[in-house]
Amino acid sequence: MIAGLGMTELGRVYGQTPARFAADAVRLAVADAGLRLTDVDGLLTSSGMSGGISIDLQRDLGLTDLRLLSHLQAYGSTAGAMVQFASMAVQSGMASVIACVFADSPLRPERGAGAAYGTRRAPAGWWGLLGASGIVGANPMYALAARRHMERYSTTSEQLGHIAVAQRAWAAVNPAAQLRDPITLADHQASRWIVEPFHLLDCCLVSNGGIAVVVTSAERATALAQPPVHVLGWAQRHPGHYLRRDPDFGLVTGAASAGPAALAMAGVSLADVDVAELYDCYTFTVLVSLEDYGFCAKGEGGPFVASGVLGPGGKLAVNTGGGQLSAYYMWGMTPLSEAVIQARGQGGDRQAGAHDIVLVSGNGGVLDHHSTLVLGSAATA
Amino acid sequence: MSVGPVERDEATAEFFDGTAAGQFPLRRCPEGHFSEPAAAACVTCGRTELAFVPAAGGATLVSWAVSYGRPAGDEPPPRTVLAIGELDEGPWWWAQLDAAEPGDGPADADGLRVGQRLRVEFRRADGEYEAVPVFVLA
Repeated sequence: MIAGLGMTELGRVYGQTPARFAADAVRLAVADAGLRLTDVDGLLTSSGMSGGISIDLQRDLGLTDLRLLSHLQAYGSTAGAMVQFASMAVQSGMASVIACVFADSPLRPERGAGAAYGTRRAPAGWWGLLGASGIVGANPMYALAARRHMERYSTTSEQLGHIAVAQRAWAAVNPAAQLRDPITLADHQASRWIVEPFHLLDCCLVSNGGIAVVVTSAERATALAQPPVHVLGWAQRHPGHYLRRDPDFGLVTGAASAGPAALAMAGVSLADVDVAELYDCYTFTVLVSLEDYGFCAKGEGGPFVASGVLGPGGKLAVNTGGGQLSAYYMWGMTPLSEAVIQARGQGGDRQAGAHDIVLVSGNGGVLDHHSTLVLGSAATA
Repeated sequence: MSVGPVERDEATAEFFDGTAAGQFPLRRCPEGHFSEPAAAACVTCGRTELAFVPAAGGATLVSWAVSYGRPAGDEPPPRTVLAIGELDEGPWWWAQLDAAEPGDGPADADGLRVGQRLRVEFRRADGEYEAVPVFVLA
């Protein structure tokens, strides 16, 4: 179970390396749990595209005699994967207090967020050819995925806009969010194209910072500082069709199979899910994830999100902190951190009324890597 | 914007030999299955004895997107139309969707539809760079 959550200052925070953010986040998470660094006997590290974090974090933190130490990389599904590995390590008795951390600092004060990723055009080979063809970074690939969905199911840009508007409304009541000014559907439609069909307000933020969680055993956690958050179920799915013919491209993601597997492991059904924290690198990622998990039928994500189910007061509590679109972009740690806050009941003005079962998704690559976690405020669902 | 510069490396040398000759090399296994040019093993049967075979050059439109550069002054931002094409042999390819006449810029993205017929052509960036496949409307 998850006993601690540590979040550094997030967003346009300059002058720190990813390793420093990571070390700070681990210290915060350990203190949040009511533990000391000397209690930590396992460490899982992960980094963004700018790297800068490795298992050397052990030395930075002065941790000795660890029983588990690894660096993981499954892109946006890594945070979920770390909690899964940590949970298995605790279950097996391999380690008892495991810190899982992600940090990144792609933003520089002198350049815009658009320059943070994808500017290193490889001049040679297959990657160079992709770049020479105009496909640099994640935006074009996700735009191609979204367009396929739009053509197949008549999904519209306005429908995607409802996701952006709803999440900004959640961010408005999240003190940690980078963007808190409300937006309208018209603002979404008027925001400049990044890669059509994506407007600027379809795309996630870029953030500096670090987030860590501490995973420990249920027995130990009940005596600690925070309400326990149990890890009830989990699954991954990695379809393996990147840059290959893929009938599912843009239409179905790994969530469609990992979701039911994780829910079955937790012994709950989708109807039991009170809060969903979904990876939202783009508005479209939320839409296709809602379909894949079964919150609505395949192809009906557009009308579903446009019907007013999302946002404060909506019937489905989704991305209650504002997500990567409006709060902060810490890869899979964005949905995971908000899920922990909600499951504990510590969401303040944005706290969901019911929060017994929280679904968390991670998504990496171009819908290529998926992780699902089912968290619960009680040990059994 | 047209295609960017790209140089060959060991893995792409044969592919760029093909594009220089106006061909799009696919990988074909002894069973006759086609795989994408970068495949190390047949995507259908896993065999690793792959030969480069030129594609016929026809394709159909799977999806498209329009990439915008940063606006500079009063000029409209530069546009690039990007497409996934399903080659008639089966594999998919990611490339620009260009105007039929080289130098005329991107194809018009309005009115594109899934399944539309495409043709593979080749463009080069200025300088000593490799020929890059693009799609044009057939």
